[in-house]
Amino acid sequence: MSPPGPRIAMAVLGKDLLLDLRTRERLGHMAVFAALVVVLLGLTLPTSRAARSDWIPALLWIVFLFTSLLGLSRSFQAETEEGAVAMLIQAPCDRGWVFLGKAAANLIALFGIQLWTALLFGIFLDVDWGPALPAALGVAFLGAAGLSALGSLLSAMSMFVRFRDFLFPILLFPLVLPLLVFASRMTATALEGGAISGLAWSALALYDWIFGCIGYFVFDYVLED
Amino acid sequence: MIEVRDLEKQYGNVLALRGISLEIPTGTAALVSGPNGAGKSTLLRILAGLTRPTRGRVAIDGTDPFGKGAAARRGRVGFVGQELALYGELTVEENLRFCAQLHGLDAAQTGGEFDPLRDLDLAPVARRRVQTLSQGYRRRASIARALLTRPEVLLLDEPWNGLDAEATRHLARLIAREREQGHTVVVAAHAVAEHAHLFNRVIQLEAGRLAGDGSASAEPE
Repeated sequence: MSPPGPRIAMAVLGKDLLLDLRTRERLGHMAVFAALVVVLLGLTLPTSRAARSDWIPALLWIVFLFTSLLGLSRSFQAETEEGAVAMLIQAPCDRGWVFLGKAAANLIALFGIQLWTALLFGIFLDVDWGPALPAALGVAFLGAAGLSALGSLLSAMSMFVRFRDFLFPILLFPLVLPLLVFASRMTATALEGGAISGLAWSALALYDWIFGCIGYFVFDYVLED
Repeated sequence: MIEVRDLEKQYGNVLALRGISLEIPTGTAALVSGPNGAGKSTLLRILAGLTRPTRGRVAIDGTDPFGKGAAARRGRVGFVGQELALYGELTVEENLRFCAQLHGLDAAQTGGEFDPLRDLDLAPVARRRVQTLSQGYRRRASIARALLTRPEVLLLDEPWNGLDAEATRHLARLIAREREQGHTVVVAAHAVAEHAHLFNRVIQLEAGRLAGDGSASAEPE
């Protein structure tokens, strides 16, 4: 009898979180990379808050994108070592749930790194998150969800490819562009104290939903040799 | 019953399998032998549903591993490939627990009479990470993972690689037990002579073609 899909997703999520916490390799690399870039930005950008405020939202999302790239490109590393992906392929279930479990684990990791990046922006670039925090957190979560869905799918697609480190960003960047544009503009609105339009929220949520659905439905074929 | 009809598999310009047709009745213990590149591993990976054939048809108890209804039957086929299919950073116990979760099994269904940790003498290393184990224990852990679902068809690719004498005896007992229980066992291996007594059928492959098929006691045709 096939186990229920949500149980499969939870098992994959639990396994990935355990691996992330145990090795600390993926999270550690992302956290250090984000810290280094933000420190460099802090040293090179104009010192006055007014002069650099226009750049902050775009820089935040670009730092976040490159940091995420480090983690997402390795999200199937454990599966390729020792052929552990066979365990997932042989599970008697709809493999879309395996994808959702992987994407959820990536979402948690990316959202955590996003909070860390926002904290670094507060410390080194003097960004005042105070009143913008609830809206900025919402944008961060939806942005992380979209990146997780797309990144998990592309990472799985490039899992068996020889030049995967090169291929992954080539595939990711064009597809992530709409998310990057929406998320940075929404973050800018939040930081300016304005109200983010319902249309913008819907667009970001739609992006997440589209790539979540694509991943769910095509993962079965992606996993095959 | 395993049915294979006109099976072909092409990797780029290389034809790994060239029109293989055979039937393996339920309860058979078959040894697939042949030199490197004969197509043994490819045949087993196709039977396990891991590699899609280029042409031809495969059915296990009437179900195509790549067709409709295949998902529900995946747990009936256990596969141990040349790679371990285990997470090196997880312990043996954690790997088996995760595999059990993927197959919807609870602790009660994976212990007792069919406890793979006990059957393969893995209890002393159950809480050690797989990557810290010797090659022999890793191989045993991989076999335990494949047995966890109590498969009706067990596919083993070069299972003796890296096993010491004691582990080899464990594996021999395990294959014999599977036969006694009426399960089908298909093993791909180079070395035929030392393990031939475990099997009642030997299938020989050469350059992706069926070169012989006979009982283990007689020379293959």
